[in-house]
Amino acid sequence: MELPPALSSSSSSPPFTFSSRRIFLPKEDEFFEDGDIYRHLYLRDAITSVGEVERPKVSEFCCHIAGCSQLFDTLENYEHHYNTFHRNVCSSCKRSFPSSHLLDIHILEWHDSLFQILAAKQNMYICLVESCTEKFKASSDRKKHLVKVHGYPSDFRFDKPKKPKRNQKNQDRSPHDMDVETSNCQKETNSLFCQIAAESVEPVETMEAESPPVSEQENPSTLVQQRPSYSYRVPATICFGHGSVRGFKNPRKKK
Amino acid sequence: MIRGTGPGIRSRNRVCGVEEIKARRRQQERALRKARKEKQLVSKRLPRGLQGDGEEMEIRETSVTQEEVLQLYQRIQHGSDDRLAALRSLHQVLQLKEAQQMFVRFENSIRVLIGLFTSNLASVQLKAAQCLLELSHSDDPSISLVCLPATPYLLTYLSGQSAKFTELCLYILGNLAAENEAVRNQLLLQGVIQALAICLQSPHGAVVEAAAYSLSQMLQAKEAGEKIIPSAVLEANLTPHLIRLLDLDSEFGMQTAVECAWCLHYIVSRKPQEGRLIKTVCCLSCSGVNCECMISQNLIRQAVILLIALGKAIESGITTDGVELLIYPVARCLGNLIVSNGPARSKVQPHASDVLRALSTFTSRFLQSRPFVTRECLWLLNNLTAGDEQFCSAIFHLNLVPVFLQLIPFSGGINTLVLMLLGNIAEMGPEYCEKLQQQTDIFPALCTTLRTADPEVVRLTLEVLNLILSHCQQACVSFANQSGISALEAIQYNSNEEIRVRANYLMDRYFTHKAPRCLEMGKFLNLSISFPFWLILDF
Repeated sequence: MELPPALSSSSSSPPFTFSSRRIFLPKEDEFFEDGDIYRHLYLRDAITSVGEVERPKVSEFCCHIAGCSQLFDTLENYEHHYNTFHRNVCSSCKRSFPSSHLLDIHILEWHDSLFQILAAKQNMYICLVESCTEKFKASSDRKKHLVKVHGYPSDFRFDKPKKPKRNQKNQDRSPHDMDVETSNCQKETNSLFCQIAAESVEPVETMEAESPPVSEQENPSTLVQQRPSYSYRVPATICFGHGSVRGFKNPRKKK
Repeated sequence: MIRGTGPGIRSRNRVCGVEEIKARRRQQERALRKARKEKQLVSKRLPRGLQGDGEEMEIRETSVTQEEVLQLYQRIQHGSDDRLAALRSLHQVLQLKEAQQMFVRFENSIRVLIGLFTSNLASVQLKAAQCLLELSHSDDPSISLVCLPATPYLLTYLSGQSAKFTELCLYILGNLAAENEAVRNQLLLQGVIQALAICLQSPHGAVVEAAAYSLSQMLQAKEAGEKIIPSAVLEANLTPHLIRLLDLDSEFGMQTAVECAWCLHYIVSRKPQEGRLIKTVCCLSCSGVNCECMISQNLIRQAVILLIALGKAIESGITTDGVELLIYPVARCLGNLIVSNGPARSKVQPHASDVLRALSTFTSRFLQSRPFVTRECLWLLNNLTAGDEQFCSAIFHLNLVPVFLQLIPFSGGINTLVLMLLGNIAEMGPEYCEKLQQQTDIFPALCTTLRTADPEVVRLTLEVLNLILSHCQQACVSFANQSGISALEAIQYNSNEEIRVRANYLMDRYFTHKAPRCLEMGKFLNLSISFPFWLILDF
């Protein structure tokens, strides 16, 4: 069964094309396939009480962030994915964080040029625990604090010291730690982030029909030229063009 | 080419497990689907009741030797008392495919059998007919087509008096008609359609059912639209009989009605011929418009009454197994009839509430067991509600929107059709949109469909949203309050252009104060030095 093709419209008029219509379906139409099969099973005496019932198919959900395109079978799984991977995302390096607090710290320590300058004079490394107000001179001090006072593991994933030279394909870039039964989201996300970082991050809206498949598209040559010149945490309402995984964030709480 | 035989269980002394049955059924289904795609879907029927004549069917071996078959063949050639007993045994043996192959290869065997079929001894005739039925039912054309020489007799006997014998002949004819176009041409030349028309008027239910079955095999053929329906069926004035039989109160029972419903579906759902509008039941010999309207309207009326009655029966818990077998072919007839025919639609309107109630019962009831019934009923609902204010307002009176919203999670065409239904309603104007947006579950449902993987569903959701939001101010607020904006935001950069364009339009038009278009803001972000202002505030 096909819906009517979109009518061409000028750019100023609304792009909507729905209009109610009655649909005629000839007997050979694909729409009637299931019913026809059932009829034939009846003719062949093949419908028995033992026979199975047929369950309806349930919609799958799809993450619509371009470049992601993962499928989920329940809305909860989709929203979990979205909130986890697309909400607290660093616009520069595309790492995603479980909370806005960690994202803020990350941006500050990794992408802020002023930070290093200030850190030489005063304690700038704040504790990762939100309610803790301690500040430290170096990230190693903070790490000791986390381990000793807050009982954190020494290999806590969101406390990686910044590497002097960033290798985009570094295995270390596992931006996520979920609970132990990591879904394949994480693996997907790793490869996703490797790929995304290689793409242009200019806010140019491209009009490609297909979103780029996750596994393709290595473009290291564009990387160097198009590193963003800003490292602002992206405000909640901003998103970038095709290729961005930046999702939408809850407003940051004031401290 | 897929042909039909009954289930594989032929021998009574083999017990099949449930799993085996299910696996076989699934395999059968796959084969049927493939055949339908290749337009080679053919099934034959061998009603259980016709196999025995009251006596116990012997439990037999699963195989037989050539010698045994030959012996039986020899025995039936002699005009003695033994002949009947031999015929009985032959009938049982012919349930086995290998025996069928052996038998038809013996010299003159078919001529002998057909000779017995024309005997003036009733019992012999009956038994021979049962043998022919077994052969006609075979999925191997080299076996089934041997019955062809019998067709003139088969047709002649249709006007005979013996109900059981007529029934047998009808099933043999129906199975043969399913074979190929050449057979059907031969049958047409021999006057099959007129003969079937007479049988449809028989007082015996089994005969009527068998006639309708045979007719359905003629009508479902590929060439039926051009060759069979216009000339034969309408000239023979078959349709009024079929319509009359679509009656739950008829003495003939539901299975007859089912066969008639399929015949009518094949007639009504004929592919439009080259630019002509559907004049599917136009009688060539009648005076044009009058006749067409009359037949259409009679069929519509009958279909509507039937669906309403079935709906009430299901609601009150009186259900027979397989009632859905009648529901969906009738729904198909009605769905297609109301497409082009203006006066036809006015026939349904007086019954709008009852029809809607019945259809909503069907959609809920069969969702978890036969979802295609749900889907086909939704299609009928779309055709009823499209551009029709009466039906759309009846939906609110009966409070049916929540019932349809419950179907939203389901794909396979179901949520697409629900969205079209909502679109039909919303298109009616501001009052309808107002009522729609007051439904508690409407925006959660639309937010759900916005997130699905099917781009068509997403696009339709945006269309429906556009209609509601454009007609109803309050809807914007309600939508926003139920996390609609984040659902819209999530698809603003969807890879599908149609979705993107629509989502952006809605965001721009109705929700700009919440989320500015990012392209304009982009230029503010190219700072050479960024200073985290909040850092100063915090420290």
